[in-house]
Amino acid sequence: MGTTLNIIFIVLLVVTALLAVFARDLLAAVIIFSAYSLIMALMWQRLQAPDLALTEAAVGAGVTTVLFVVAIFKTRRREEEEE
Amino acid sequence: MKRVIALLFMSALLGLLLYVVAYMPPMGDADNPTNSSEVIERYLEKAEEETHTPNVITGIILNYRGYDTMGEVSVIFCALAAVLAVMGREKQGKIYAYVDRSKVPSSVIVKTMVAFLAPFIILFSIYTIMHGEISPGGGFQGGAIIGASMIIFTTIFGLYESSERIPQRIRAPLEGSAAIIFFIVGVLGLVGGGNFLTYAWPNIASSLQPAVVTWLTILVEIGIGMGGAMVLISILFSLIREEEEIAVAP
Repeated sequence: MGTTLNIIFIVLLVVTALLAVFARDLLAAVIIFSAYSLIMALMWQRLQAPDLALTEAAVGAGVTTVLFVVAIFKTRRREEEEE
Repeated sequence: MKRVIALLFMSALLGLLLYVVAYMPPMGDADNPTNSSEVIERYLEKAEEETHTPNVITGIILNYRGYDTMGEVSVIFCALAAVLAVMGREKQGKIYAYVDRSKVPSSVIVKTMVAFLAPFIILFSIYTIMHGEISPGGGFQGGAIIGASMIIFTTIFGLYESSERIPQRIRAPLEGSAAIIFFIVGVLGLVGGGNFLTYAWPNIASSLQPAVVTWLTILVEIGIGMGGAMVLISILFSLIREEEEIAVAP
């Protein structure tokens, strides 16, 4: 049971990491990255590091996601400005 | 050509990483380097009686490696200073963002849920900070949860509302509280007859020492929590605010 769960988490980690890299839409990439952080938090809990899990869930999935979204809204692609 | 070079470089890197993975020690093996180090042994055997904190991780972070953590909270403060140097601080009370002028108002369900949940999230973060020496968690985590709760509040109710709740005159003095309280506790250790950041002051009766250590640890945790939360909120506010002249009052 434990090993199966670990394998599922690791596969999900790799899948979300690849999706976050290959997503064309930056906003989608950020949301996928927050999902990655959430799975990572579960993984820390499974590795018996609850302190890290709390930090990852709060900072990785919560705070950095919003800061990334704000950064996306604040910036613009150079091609768009030239039009 | 560029792509071929990039592909070759990436596959070489991938091969190297996979090769190194084969040499990693197996998880939970008794012969792992982490299990045979003298430092780890010392932490696991003596941490509870020396630092008087049942959660060994908090004991290590705040007590054995207190100097380290003091540097870390200074780094967080430096991050805020960098953001403020680039983005500038908002004028008091004149702070709006695009979330305030959104054409589509937030739905009643979302608003009610956030207003209902926010106090409980903050309560949980206070528990995480105060209980950090007994259970997993601590100042950093609790502060991040407070910051996250204010982020939710800001995205739903707008920057104007949330900056009314936590105005600049409250945030600004508290932003540096983590480093300041840590430093004060460190100097108190010197006054108490020990080294910098000695929690168990040698000058007082040894029967009082456990209580002093516990309360100083909690004090440092509260400082880190408040400082971290205020730094996160200030970074968010200064990032999402727009120019006051352009923005229209909601």
